[in-house]
Amino acid sequence: MKWLILGPEIYFLAVAAVFLILSMLRPNERRDFSAALFLAGLGVAVTLATIRLEGSLFHGAYRIDLFSQLLKGLLSMGFFLVVCLCSSLKGIHETRQSEFYLLLTTCTLGMMLLVSSLELLTLYVALELASYSLYALVPLRSGGGQPMEAGIKYFLSGIATSALMLFGLASLFAATQTTLISELILKLPALLNTPMAFVGLLLTLCGFFFKLALFPFHIWAPSVYQGAANQVTAFVATATKVTAMAMLIRLVSMSDGNTSLAHVLIALAIMSMTYGNLVALVQKDFKRLLAYSAVAHAGYSLIGILSMNPTGYAAAVFYALAYLAMTFTCFLVVVKVASDGRNIAVTQLAGLHRRSPLLAMALMVGVFSLGGIPPTIGFTGKFLVFNAAMERGYFLLVLIAMINVVVSLYYYIQVVKAAFLLEPDEELPAIHLSSPTTLLTVVMVVIIVVGGIWPSHLFELARSAVQALR
Amino acid sequence: MSMQLASFPYLSTILLSCVAGLLVILFIPRERETLVKWVSLAFSGIALALSIFVFCAYDRTLGGLQFVEKLRWVEPLGIHYFNGADGFSLPLILLTGIVHFTGVLTMWELHGRVKEFFAFAFALVLGVFGFFMSMDLFFLFVWFDVSLFPMYPLIAIWGTTRKEYGALKLFLHVLAGSALILPGIVYLAVASGLHSFDIVALMQPGALSPGQQRFAFLLFYLGFGILAGVWPFHTWSPVGHVAAPTSVSMIHAGVLMKVGAFGILRVAIFLCPIGWEYWAPVMAVLATIGIVYGIFVGLRQTDLKYVVAFSSVSHMGIVGLGLSTVTAEGLNGAVFQMFAHGIMTALLFSSLGYIYDKTHTKLIPDLGGMSRVMPVASGYFIVAALAGMGVPGFASFWAEVTVFISALKVYPVLGILAICALVLSALYMLRVVQKTFYGQRNERYAHLPDVPFSLGLPRMILVAVMVLFGLFPRLMLDLIQTAVIPFMGGLPR
Repeated sequence: MKWLILGPEIYFLAVAAVFLILSMLRPNERRDFSAALFLAGLGVAVTLATIRLEGSLFHGAYRIDLFSQLLKGLLSMGFFLVVCLCSSLKGIHETRQSEFYLLLTTCTLGMMLLVSSLELLTLYVALELASYSLYALVPLRSGGGQPMEAGIKYFLSGIATSALMLFGLASLFAATQTTLISELILKLPALLNTPMAFVGLLLTLCGFFFKLALFPFHIWAPSVYQGAANQVTAFVATATKVTAMAMLIRLVSMSDGNTSLAHVLIALAIMSMTYGNLVALVQKDFKRLLAYSAVAHAGYSLIGILSMNPTGYAAAVFYALAYLAMTFTCFLVVVKVASDGRNIAVTQLAGLHRRSPLLAMALMVGVFSLGGIPPTIGFTGKFLVFNAAMERGYFLLVLIAMINVVVSLYYYIQVVKAAFLLEPDEELPAIHLSSPTTLLTVVMVVIIVVGGIWPSHLFELARSAVQALR
Repeated sequence: MSMQLASFPYLSTILLSCVAGLLVILFIPRERETLVKWVSLAFSGIALALSIFVFCAYDRTLGGLQFVEKLRWVEPLGIHYFNGADGFSLPLILLTGIVHFTGVLTMWELHGRVKEFFAFAFALVLGVFGFFMSMDLFFLFVWFDVSLFPMYPLIAIWGTTRKEYGALKLFLHVLAGSALILPGIVYLAVASGLHSFDIVALMQPGALSPGQQRFAFLLFYLGFGILAGVWPFHTWSPVGHVAAPTSVSMIHAGVLMKVGAFGILRVAIFLCPIGWEYWAPVMAVLATIGIVYGIFVGLRQTDLKYVVAFSSVSHMGIVGLGLSTVTAEGLNGAVFQMFAHGIMTALLFSSLGYIYDKTHTKLIPDLGGMSRVMPVASGYFIVAALAGMGVPGFASFWAEVTVFISALKVYPVLGILAICALVLSALYMLRVVQKTFYGQRNERYAHLPDVPFSLGLPRMILVAVMVLFGLFPRLMLDLIQTAVIPFMGGLPR
């Protein structure tokens, strides 16, 4: 019975096995999609059923608590949502679709293992499981050079960061003689004024900065967002970001409010926000624009983490959740508008308000949420994060972040303008949404708006989750 | 501040009527344009009726905050859903009700994307109502942004002259203000040590040190000042006014700029009175420059909408001058001027809208002799122009007189400058009226019909309101006084 607390992990391992078998059978697009949708939906149920479980396995190397289970819930939802977008996987060749689902599952599994890992080596192994799945997913898109280039770029920069991270893990071990996070929490704060421990922690964080696409670890993001299939990008942009934010919270909370670390993180946050927003201003491709907006959002979420107080960690968890909802909504629109699986430029959204009023509205809500306009969940997330930073007295940081928010509105409004204002050169057919897709779109819009208006339950949940960190 | 809880949530019902209007419109098929208009009229009518009700039902002998609704929203952060109405907010709630209702009537002839237009308009008005009612800084900010974001589509889709440029300029300028306001409100909540966004709690003397007040006041004054059209942050306003479609110009100049001025009053002045006294001379100088500058630039304009837009800049300067006097009369006049200017500008834009719809031009040289073509439509504009000059008998006369008397006492030089400029403004408004409505008739427009009764209705309502409060100014001044006296009495001296 002790193994029951590993329910989600075992379940997703089983799902991976199912797809491994399916990938050996004759390719069948409809069968794969139905199986994936069913299994993903069940996965959400399984994960949510275990959300209140607690326990510890493998001599404290693996812990199940509200924090890890909440994030597993988010990950399984992210997985389910991305599978929902795969009803017509035009970007990926039919023969490879089972592998696509297989890799998506193993990646989710890796990230689930990651958020429960409380031991540095377990953590590294789980991270690599997730990463290697992604390295294979990115170039899976049919159509030549660009996906390949993105895949190679992602792989090379990824393993380079892994090397840095390993170096950091080794230094941490050398400084503290332990790999268990529960012991690191006790030993590290006192040791952080020694260069070895400090650099060790910082290099360890780099692994997750990379996943979060924080400046200067963002180099892969534009190419991967643009090069990977739309569904894969949706997964990279939502699930992996949530995991990275969660792991940064876990690792930064070990430092126990170290000011030098906070200063480094402040510098990174400011650079990331400013760079991401400024470069996004000139982007033409919608996915590339979202990539740079992700760089900026990495900065915003880091503000909550670097506040290093429980409110800040809770705000960052809330932000991760909000980010999942709003980014997914934007990708939902991308996938539905680009029905042939190609990339779309911002100007290709022209006339969307006539082609599909619902998608246009969803896009507006999603983009305004990214831009932080109330009453959306994105605004509430930013507000919580800024509130936490202000409690630490970082007034200037909040001011700079808000100026960035205003700068970012320029490119977000260009998207809204394209959808509502521009007329396409030639008459484009209306986009017909199937009734499940319509429902999904409406649900996402409702989540974004309702989460923005009534944040108190979600925030309470986030608060109790971060209490499990100690 | 004394508080009376509401027996029935009247204020929330006003907000709810806007939400309901928005939702109902979303579910109407887009071809049924007339239905959308009737539904809009019905829901804006409910909001108007309720705002008239709360205006009349407010107990003036008790004063303080009435119709209070308070719910805990996010407990750990000290956020409350906290609505209330006092002598400062009631005139503006009434103003919003009137301008929205007449705005719907003014847009009765709109064709093309009608559904979206009225849906966005309801979102905008929802934000404005919420802003005037809210007594919690968090919600205040939420409503502030909610009232601003619909401006972009409203202007960019249905606007006219350089609409995309105007819409973008307006949107980025006014939201830049929020980059100062949001850090400001979080700073207040944290720096006061109360960890609460409750305005009444933060108003307690001693909640904020003088240094904090001076700093925070500047943030709010600049942040809200952009929206209030304070010189030199006004540049978005003429461009935006001119680009916007008629009813959006009405709401925008009539109500939204008051959101900015009210923000200065409710947040900056209420919470940072020491900062207010400290920065008052700067406010006075900027306001006077605004008055004079608006009039002189207005003199040179050939586009009627630009004329009205620059007169807005100078009239909002009068509001600013009133606020900067740090006296009871000044505050009283400033709030009355917000109301009076709102009604007057709405009337100016509304009557202009009809003329523009028919002639498709708003250039003064192209028009001429309009009073012979459409005497009634011209009449509305002339009445509004007279009100703008401060002719007795209209609400704006009392408001301007009150402000100038108090300004002369506190800042004699600036006061005299402003009054001289106002005399000039009479000159320039009369010039516009003469060139547009009298003189040689332009034969091109001779065949155009005059405004029919049904379309004239919104303008009649606005004229009636202006005259009502012009003849009985105490209806308004006494109400505002119930809020001004306790507030000024409670200031640390």
